[in-house]
Amino acid sequence: MTAATSPVAIPERAEGRTILVVARKELADALASRWFWMWVAAFAGLAATLALVALPGSRVAASASFSRTAASLVALVQVIVPLMGLTLGAQAIASQREHGALRFLLSHPVNRTEAFWGIYLGLAAALVTAVAAGFGAAGLVTAIRTGGTRTGAFLWIAVGAAILVLAMLGIGMLVSTFTRRTSSALGIAVFIWLGLVFLGDLGLMGTAVATRMPVSALFAVTVANPVEAFRLAALASFTRSLDVLGPAGTYAVNVLGDALVPVIVGVLGLWFVLPAAAAWARFRSPRQDL
Amino acid sequence: MIRRAASAAAVVVLLAATPTAAEAAADLQAIVDGAEPGAVIELEAGTYRGGVVIDKPLTLRPAGDGEVVVDGGGVGTVITVDAPDVTIEGLVVRASGDTLDREEAGIYVNEPRAKILDNRLEDVLFGIFLHQAPDSVVRGNTIGAKDLFIARRGDGLRLWESHRTLVADNVVDGGRDAVFWFCDELTIRGNRISNGRYGLHFMYSDAVVVEGNALIDNSVGSYLMYSKDLTLRRNLISGNNGPSGYGVGLKDMDGAELADNLIVGNRVGVFLDNSPQTVGVTQEFHGNLVAYNQIGILFLPSVRGNVFWANAFVDNSVQVGVQGGGRFSGNAWTHEGIGNHWSDYAGYDADGDGIGDVPYRLDDLYDALLDRNPEIMLFAETPAAKALDLAARAFPVIEPRPKVVDEAPLVRPPRLPDPPFDLGVEPGPALLVASTLMLAFAGAVVGSARRPWRSSR
Repeated sequence: MTAATSPVAIPERAEGRTILVVARKELADALASRWFWMWVAAFAGLAATLALVALPGSRVAASASFSRTAASLVALVQVIVPLMGLTLGAQAIASQREHGALRFLLSHPVNRTEAFWGIYLGLAAALVTAVAAGFGAAGLVTAIRTGGTRTGAFLWIAVGAAILVLAMLGIGMLVSTFTRRTSSALGIAVFIWLGLVFLGDLGLMGTAVATRMPVSALFAVTVANPVEAFRLAALASFTRSLDVLGPAGTYAVNVLGDALVPVIVGVLGLWFVLPAAAAWARFRSPRQDL
Repeated sequence: MIRRAASAAAVVVLLAATPTAAEAAADLQAIVDGAEPGAVIELEAGTYRGGVVIDKPLTLRPAGDGEVVVDGGGVGTVITVDAPDVTIEGLVVRASGDTLDREEAGIYVNEPRAKILDNRLEDVLFGIFLHQAPDSVVRGNTIGAKDLFIARRGDGLRLWESHRTLVADNVVDGGRDAVFWFCDELTIRGNRISNGRYGLHFMYSDAVVVEGNALIDNSVGSYLMYSKDLTLRRNLISGNNGPSGYGVGLKDMDGAELADNLIVGNRVGVFLDNSPQTVGVTQEFHGNLVAYNQIGILFLPSVRGNVFWANAFVDNSVQVGVQGGGRFSGNAWTHEGIGNHWSDYAGYDADGDGIGDVPYRLDDLYDALLDRNPEIMLFAETPAAKALDLAARAFPVIEPRPKVVDEAPLVRPPRLPDPPFDLGVEPGPALLVASTLMLAFAGAVVGSARRPWRSSR
């Protein structure tokens, strides 16, 4: 069941135009699905609501309350955005395989690399659209309510959320290439989500409380989690210093200095690149079932 | 006397006006030496050499609108006042030396009743230093600092044994501290102090009134130590986020009153360390907005004797914390049937009297853990921390002892105090434009993807 046995001669070199065609089809499929619109509605709705309930009244409070709105927005992104990316990614290949759509796609003059990156790009476009819609709605409400003072920080968080959702898409697709059925892919994706968003942090908190873990280790393990890396990068934009994170934050500021934000963003970047690359390698390999 | 002063001034103006700017640079000391006591010296625009010592009562001010600069050339103190009743008004004082142990300053006053008004101090180690200069006035000055590592800088304002001095409407930016030692009955009003280490720092200064000041983006907003009967009201204390940053820190204070302050966006809003220190003294906190701080109010465990009412505690990551955990009692959260507003109050007000019918209890498990394990502050505001609180509430196996019980919580925030002055925070269109663009982008993607096959050719 490998490409070599296919009756059609398939070009080995990936072509950008083919990738785009597959991506457009994938994007159209995503936009036609209820899943996607549910995510957009949930994210944009909650983000706008959060911006709406920020304290009204004092103009002084407006600039300080931005960090509050931003903190809530970051928490919301932490919960919803990884789930969105992971589930969409996990469904991507597994469900197409289940329905035979993948074999149909690869029976056209489309090689595996083109198919993979086409699917990835299409889903990425859909997810970035969802994130843009959510931040757009929240930003609009904030701008109308309080006048909006910290546009740079707000955009930085939005870009961080976009990178996070792509990283999660990569992880989801990696899961998808390893599982035979959509349901198990989704199950694994949800479990990964639980681990990244809740269990990892809870475990670290428990470890820190129980064993007096050194702050250096605490910070290192925390920042290795892409969801946490996103949060720390976002925090760096709207608080003046990560000192606000207590002893671990102060440690990081003192040890890493100016390299702190690049390191955090670098971790996020690795999560963006590596899982997607691994998924592609797996998808290309002859061991990949169609 | 007045006539004599005026005629002396006329003579002096002539003297100052004749030489060229370069010669004038040498001459301020000579001008001062040649003036009668009580003279009003009006200086022509230009640059004068610093290191001036004023040893008789007189007034220094510009003759016209031109800038009168006194330049220390980076050596020593620029202007030293060794006589009482000296007024220095409207000058630009620049470039003191940078030796901390010699206390090199822009203006250094050693005698009482000085008036330091509307000057601009730039590139100075200490700004204005009042050393045993009681009954002075320091008003309307703009005080900058040297570009040094913060502990190497001097204090923008330092008062030492200068009782009953008025410090008003000054703008201090980037100095180390504004610090007051052994000064009773000071009035500190309408100053803006930013980007320093300690915005206001009091040691052994009793019966001081601090009102209408803005203490913004310092490492610590105000740290008040070993003093009695201090009143802090209608101040804006915001963004003081140093590693041990406090909006207001009270250490070994007795009888401080904090009223109608805006304490927002600091690492810790109010920190209480052994205050009040005397058994039986009560400290009052009312009408304050304590909002968006990492920790609203932080106590050391043994602190007692503080009463809080009619404050609004809004969305602090941790509303009230006890450093190191432990027993926490002896402070009151209601006064004559009026409690505080808590943004996380989950009760109700069935009889509509504005006071919640069930007490507010602060007993979050995460907060309780945080008190003993400050390193888990790393997880503040995460979904995991919220989940922990939710789980503790749903399955109360581990029920933390409530830190705060407010028997009469206010369901609506009391009227928020107005900021002491306009901070120039103007809403700009940038966020509106940016978010509209994001929505437009989303709309464009959705629109373009509707008929992928038709448009792909």
